[in-house]
Amino acid sequence: MPSSPGPAQDLPLTSLLTLQDITVRGRCQPRLDGVSLRIAPGERVALLGPSGAGKSTLLAVANGLLEPDHGQVLWQGEPRARGARARRRQQARIGTLWQDLRLIEELTVQQNLNAARLAAWGWPRALLNLLLPLDTTACAAVLQRLDLDPALLNQPVSALSGGQRQRVALARLLRQEPLLLLADEPLASLDPRLATDLLNLLLELASPPRGLLLSLHRPDLLGGFDRVVGLRAGRLVFDQRSTSLHRAQLEGLYAGSEEP
Amino acid sequence: MKPAAPLWVLLPALVLLPVLALLPGISHGGGWELVGQFAAAALRPSLDPLVLGSVLGGLGVTAGIALLGWAGSLVLGLVLGIASSRVVWRSCCGSAAPAGWIRRLLALPRSIHELLWGLLLLQLVGLQPAVAVVAIAVPFGALVARVVSDLLDALPTANLEALRCGGAPAPAALLTALGPPLLPQVISYSGYRLECALRSATLLGVFGLGGLGTELRLTLQSLAFPELWSGLWLLLAVMLLLEALLGWLRRRWAMPARLGLRQRAVGRQGREMVGAGLVLLPLLGAVAWGLEVRPAALLQWQGLPPLGPADWGAVAALPWPMLIGNTLLLTLIAAALAVGLAPLLLLLVQPWPAGGWLVRGLWALGRLWPPPLTALLLLFVLQPGVLTGALALGFHNLGILGRLLLEAAETSGVGQQQALVAAGTGPRLALLYGRFSGLARPYLAYGAYRADVMLRETVVVGLVGATGLGSQLLESLSSFAWEQLLALVAVYALLTLAGEELSDWLRRRLLAPH
Repeated sequence: MPSSPGPAQDLPLTSLLTLQDITVRGRCQPRLDGVSLRIAPGERVALLGPSGAGKSTLLAVANGLLEPDHGQVLWQGEPRARGARARRRQQARIGTLWQDLRLIEELTVQQNLNAARLAAWGWPRALLNLLLPLDTTACAAVLQRLDLDPALLNQPVSALSGGQRQRVALARLLRQEPLLLLADEPLASLDPRLATDLLNLLLELASPPRGLLLSLHRPDLLGGFDRVVGLRAGRLVFDQRSTSLHRAQLEGLYAGSEEP
Repeated sequence: MKPAAPLWVLLPALVLLPVLALLPGISHGGGWELVGQFAAAALRPSLDPLVLGSVLGGLGVTAGIALLGWAGSLVLGLVLGIASSRVVWRSCCGSAAPAGWIRRLLALPRSIHELLWGLLLLQLVGLQPAVAVVAIAVPFGALVARVVSDLLDALPTANLEALRCGGAPAPAALLTALGPPLLPQVISYSGYRLECALRSATLLGVFGLGGLGTELRLTLQSLAFPELWSGLWLLLAVMLLLEALLGWLRRRWAMPARLGLRQRAVGRQGREMVGAGLVLLPLLGAVAWGLEVRPAALLQWQGLPPLGPADWGAVAALPWPMLIGNTLLLTLIAAALAVGLAPLLLLLVQPWPAGGWLVRGLWALGRLWPPPLTALLLLFVLQPGVLTGALALGFHNLGILGRLLLEAAETSGVGQQQALVAAGTGPRLALLYGRFSGLARPYLAYGAYRADVMLRETVVVGLVGATGLGSQLLESLSSFAWEQLLALVAVYALLTLAGEELSDWLRRRLLAPH
């Protein structure tokens, strides 16, 4: 096992994320029941399933928020680090795009973008960030990459429009420079055009050495993904290339629920 | 360069730098041994049945005074609050002007601290339990009245107008349209007032108005630390129990029903409240009988010592600028310490759960401990003065602000903090960025209100000397210099009224949509 992160593409056998036989107990039935999954560098994986299938739980396990009751999670081949510092370095390589974005409303766009660097920054820079504009060039660069005007940098987040907020959240993810990108239904509350734009951006970001695991509700948007994983009642129903997915499989996945 | 929200909550803590720099200068080091004995006694309080008996008796008196004073303040506050509400006057008489006059009149009893009320009444009618009860009921009542009228006037009036248009008479329309939305807020606030009343009753005891406070002060001054701790632990237990009970009742009655938990039976809440009221009334009667509170005795004024001719020259000769300056300085230092230290301590102990409980324990002690007792304890190692008074007052208010900050932090910024931790941010920075960002404005707004309370409270640490108006007031009181007393109370009232205006203005600015 490599002990240092290193550029992942040198180690094609090391997957970014490995879930082995993960079980998370729930109140009546397990929220996840013996789920195994691997994501290799450069892979874009879509996670499908009806509401309550365990998609959010799976993502919470994947970003380290939730410790499974049974089974093992490996990030770049390594289990959860023991020490607090090593654990933070490990978390810094996992980037999550939250459904509710979780931007800090009271801070400016630039302060929010820099908040993604807090894992690497010490207290002096973290406090200075609350006083002065830091790393303006880098922040402007990530905004431009997402077609946002760098003039937004000193705007408070609360003054942005819905579409701008989505992009700022994505820019913050970029600024974190993670290897594993996780997104929990990022398209759920967006209008069709915004949803396609955001999805294309995410797919574009997930180039090697990065990888993407994204949960969604829209079987019509699977075009750009390499693999599709189906989850139902906490169990893995299928895990295959998106090109070989049949309509019958999708209907089976959602059978008995009101969703598409 | 404008500091961002999370920094605001830490800025007041900068006052620590001058305070720590000045402390060595005022410490005399003679009493560290005593402080050590005091701390050690915490672990072995006296269990002597005689001590416990007297402590329990004192606690009973204190709790009784608190309960009666609180009930009195609620009745006064509700009646006066409705009487000073603009919307009520406008609906009933068509003009809101009388509400404004009553409001202005109520500012006076509110601006004088309950301790002053107590000490003044003590001079007039002599020592009896009713003095402490009235001393709590009057200023608290005026405060409740202000809050009730503010709440009433802030309620949306569309329902009221609809009912009035339908021909409903004013009182019925007011009750139907404004009663239900007002009730949960009043319940929540009156629960908080009961906690305050318990603290005030203890404080009044420290100044000899009866109850546990008197024993706490006597045991401290006679250095009987194990006996002192028996009282303190018992008081702590009662206070935490009361806070837990009130928190439970607040969640049960005052919170909107949460989604999906359980269907509530219609009228359950109302029946329970009526039931609680029916239990409370005989309880109040029994307590009043047990404490021998005789309202009639308040009317029998005792013969005052013959008052000499007024010596206004001596009043004018008082060092007013210094008295006022010291009072304001004491307030500012105490407020900055209390407001700044609460978030700083939370940040420091964030990585360790045990540290969090330690801080909570410290805050509970701070809330419980009457500031004059802390001040007396500090006098073992510090010289009397503004800073000593500010430390005592700051410690007490730190306990109150800290608890409030913790309560607010439970619901604010949970997701943001989680997101930061998931991206590898350390626990302290995640707390600072994630939670304190959203908390900053409401917390500081409450801090501004609390600073106004602290200005009023400066009188209670007056006994450590040289703290400004408070010390001078206690001095004039003991020498029966009534003209000085009159002038001092008037200046105090003016100062607190100005402070109230300032803190209101600050709060409005902080809470305005930005």
